[in-house]
Amino acid sequence: MRLFRNTMISLLVLTFALPLFAIEVVEHRQPQANKVVFMLRFDNGSIADPADKKGLTYATAAIMTGGGAGAMEYADIQRKMKPWAAFYGSGVDKQVSSFFFQVPVDFVGEFYPLLKNVLLSPDFNEKDFARLMKSQQNYVDQVVRASSDEDYSKFALEDQLFRGGNMQSLIQGTSATVKNISLDDIKAHYNKVFTRNNVMLGIAGNYSDELLQRFKADMEKLPATAYTKVKPSVARSPNGIEVEIIAKDNTFGSAIFTGAPLAITRADDEFIALMIANSWIGEHRKSYSRLYQKIRETRSMNYGDYSYIEWYSNGGRNQLPPAGVPRASNYWSIWIRPVQIAKQLQAQYEELADVKIGHAHFAFRLALREFDLLIKNGMSVDEFEATKTFLRSYSKLYAQGPAQQLGWLMDSRFYGRNDYLKELDALLEKTTLAEVNSAIRKHWQTKNMFVTIVTDTSEAQALADSLINNTLSPMSYANVVKSGLSEDVLTEDDEIAAYPLNVKSVKIIKSADTFK
Amino acid sequence: MQKIVFALFLGWLLATPSTAMAAGKTLPYPIHQHRLDNGLNVVTVPFDSPGLAAFYIITRVGARNEVEPGVTGFAHFFEHMMFRGTDKYPKEKYSAALKSIGAAANANTSQDRTEYHMVGNAEKLELMFELEADRFQNLKYSEHEFKTEAGAVKGEYTKNFASPYQQLREKLVETAFTTHTYSHTTMGYFKDIVNMPNQFEYSREFFDRYYRPEYNTILVVGDVSQQQVNALAEKYFGEWQRGSYVSEVPVEPEQTETRYTHLSNGSIPPYISLSYKVPAFSDSSMDMPALDVLASIVFSNTSELYKKLVIDEQKARFLGGGAHDSRDPSLFTVQASLMDKADIPYVMKEIEKAIEKVAKEGVDPQLLATTRSNIKYSFAMSIDTPTVIARSLSHYIQLTGDPESLNRLYALYDKVSEEDIKRVAGKYLRQQRLTIATISADEKGALK
Repeated sequence: MRLFRNTMISLLVLTFALPLFAIEVVEHRQPQANKVVFMLRFDNGSIADPADKKGLTYATAAIMTGGGAGAMEYADIQRKMKPWAAFYGSGVDKQVSSFFFQVPVDFVGEFYPLLKNVLLSPDFNEKDFARLMKSQQNYVDQVVRASSDEDYSKFALEDQLFRGGNMQSLIQGTSATVKNISLDDIKAHYNKVFTRNNVMLGIAGNYSDELLQRFKADMEKLPATAYTKVKPSVARSPNGIEVEIIAKDNTFGSAIFTGAPLAITRADDEFIALMIANSWIGEHRKSYSRLYQKIRETRSMNYGDYSYIEWYSNGGRNQLPPAGVPRASNYWSIWIRPVQIAKQLQAQYEELADVKIGHAHFAFRLALREFDLLIKNGMSVDEFEATKTFLRSYSKLYAQGPAQQLGWLMDSRFYGRNDYLKELDALLEKTTLAEVNSAIRKHWQTKNMFVTIVTDTSEAQALADSLINNTLSPMSYANVVKSGLSEDVLTEDDEIAAYPLNVKSVKIIKSADTFK
Repeated sequence: MQKIVFALFLGWLLATPSTAMAAGKTLPYPIHQHRLDNGLNVVTVPFDSPGLAAFYIITRVGARNEVEPGVTGFAHFFEHMMFRGTDKYPKEKYSAALKSIGAAANANTSQDRTEYHMVGNAEKLELMFELEADRFQNLKYSEHEFKTEAGAVKGEYTKNFASPYQQLREKLVETAFTTHTYSHTTMGYFKDIVNMPNQFEYSREFFDRYYRPEYNTILVVGDVSQQQVNALAEKYFGEWQRGSYVSEVPVEPEQTETRYTHLSNGSIPPYISLSYKVPAFSDSSMDMPALDVLASIVFSNTSELYKKLVIDEQKARFLGGGAHDSRDPSLFTVQASLMDKADIPYVMKEIEKAIEKVAKEGVDPQLLATTRSNIKYSFAMSIDTPTVIARSLSHYIQLTGDPESLNRLYALYDKVSEEDIKRVAGKYLRQQRLTIATISADEKGALK
């Protein structure tokens, strides 16, 4: 009894000695692993940037992990870590920032002080600032417009969806706002948004209890500033179909992204019902989804076509959905990879020498018509069962090892779930066809959409006229393909070519004028 | 950008224990090899990944084999055709079967090989074998399906063309190689891609030549046993008939002077690459391991040159370099993205000075030890899922046909000496073997 009372007193003392709440820690121990992974997730992201200094959170994380720390210069840190093959970095998204550190178990003792310095004692010097800001400025000025038309159209779609809100800007900021960022801004921002009050810790691999306790205790020393959670802006509601065409010189095709607000996220069970429908019509990089079969496989129009019900980072590279980019403000979208433009068709095929417009209008009509058919008819029992079975197996590949598992566990907490992937399997199992078809009707429509199309300057006006006038857009096949198409396909083509779309506005924007 | 680094990081998964470690070898898991009577090599690496297996087929055919005129890009195009079905599994049935496995399944092609992979439920291993064996032996598609698929390849080229670096890559290999098939990219020339629909007969010939046991290796990593994999291989691939075709890949003549190519494009930062002709991959010669170590010491983010150009002077946004592993002699490339096009000549000179210094003075022994350790620990931390292990072994299978090349190469890294590095710098990184490629807003390159 006496022991019990003493323990209670100790606990009370301990409780009062601690800050108001303890930092949340997600553990994923693997005693036989040969390395240790540390992760930190800050609840900030680019939405925490001041409006005139967009890109500030990105810049702050970049200089923390790409600059000096403690008493060491960046180059010296990298050289010290080289024999260990240890590394660290950061990733900033719109609503969170993530830091990750990986080191072989053999060197974790020597490595840990470096980790601590990066997080608690970043150097923030002028030299690192100058170097990293040049790179960031260069990205927003040039690289984002010049390296991938597909990513460009995706980022530009977000610009439309969230225009006027804190979710609008590129994570790296804009040409104007990056110029406004000073080193003092970065120092102040570190103290304001990289705090002990908005961080979650993660640790995985082969770590000791002593190391875990040290990590937790040290991260209590992050800035103690009170953090006011920033609310992400919600996607705007489009008024009809609103199209923005970005005109670039010397572009080979038309890259299309379209989307509309979505009220649900992984936090909602209904999201899982919509996930089944989305997988059937547009699973990422899967040849058996509907859009892919209709646009690529049957009609030979492009490299692939997919749909999404949440942000999917770096879709050109990732085959499986990555962890680390959770978002509460959501939208659904369709990705139509670049289709042919008139100039290219004219040059390639004698029989298409007179075409005035490429395939973008037809492809867009086809995609929206497929969604309308799904909304109207729902999924069949067979389609539903096959897709549910697929997802229950496929989702087990999302987190194949402990580091990925740690990332997904930390994302789970963002959505108020304990272990999303585990819950997902149970939810998939119990979801019914009626729930799926109900979710489709409730959350998907095609009358009001934002659309961005990155295309060649030569194509822009003809495409804009065709879209705004709802002009017939017959598919212009090369003879080699057309001669083998079935009557069913050609009949369907006629319906697609005349499919009415609720296009209310079309704007042509020069590439240099985007993201302003 | 950092997001890409982060995504890559998340792709590196933590290690899980092995039930049987391969003593003394870099890959700490035994590599079981079994050759069927028809010559097909079957490789199994049991790995503790409960319920999960990676099934790979490595077809040692790539852009390198495109020796006839007008068929550049065909190995890659044919990879697309392999998803078009058979009599037993027509396209729709094949897609439904693939979906039922719930696997991450895809394929890709490079200059030396085509790789088909499925990662998924180990309990579905037999269905994976059945599907793969069926299409590798009985692929059947109509002429119309063939012509239709060509549009998807054109779509792939169209999306890639948006990157100026891809455009420069085409020009670089065309300039560096005059005779060997490495003179075209894996995608091929656009004119050949547009003409692909007219190559139906050639496609049947292509399948007949290369989709044969002697060109292929089956590789299974994960929650499987050697006995199980071998039995399934015998059952589904045992009747596959050997072929007789051998590609006559032309030999690239010796280069005698520096070559230049340039892309005029002001939409991205100025860029320069220096590409030197270096030997083919070998798991017994010290040349390529020495060049790999040299690249890490002289051009990585811990090098003196990186510190000078990127961190201190801030003339370069990025600097990096390394050799490309390949079956025939290929390129060692050093590349830099710059702030100002006026610095292109300066950066080139600094790169050449750094090489010259190694060729004359060698490298610091401490740096050599550090780099060896880095290579060893980098690999050890990476091999933690069936996918990563399969991908690593696939790389060496494409080069030599033997997955043990991985262990042999890493054993060589341990023996690279200061003298080796000095020797390869002087022998290979010379102006007579060099092709310089630049991007800037200027109509012509600044160097010639």
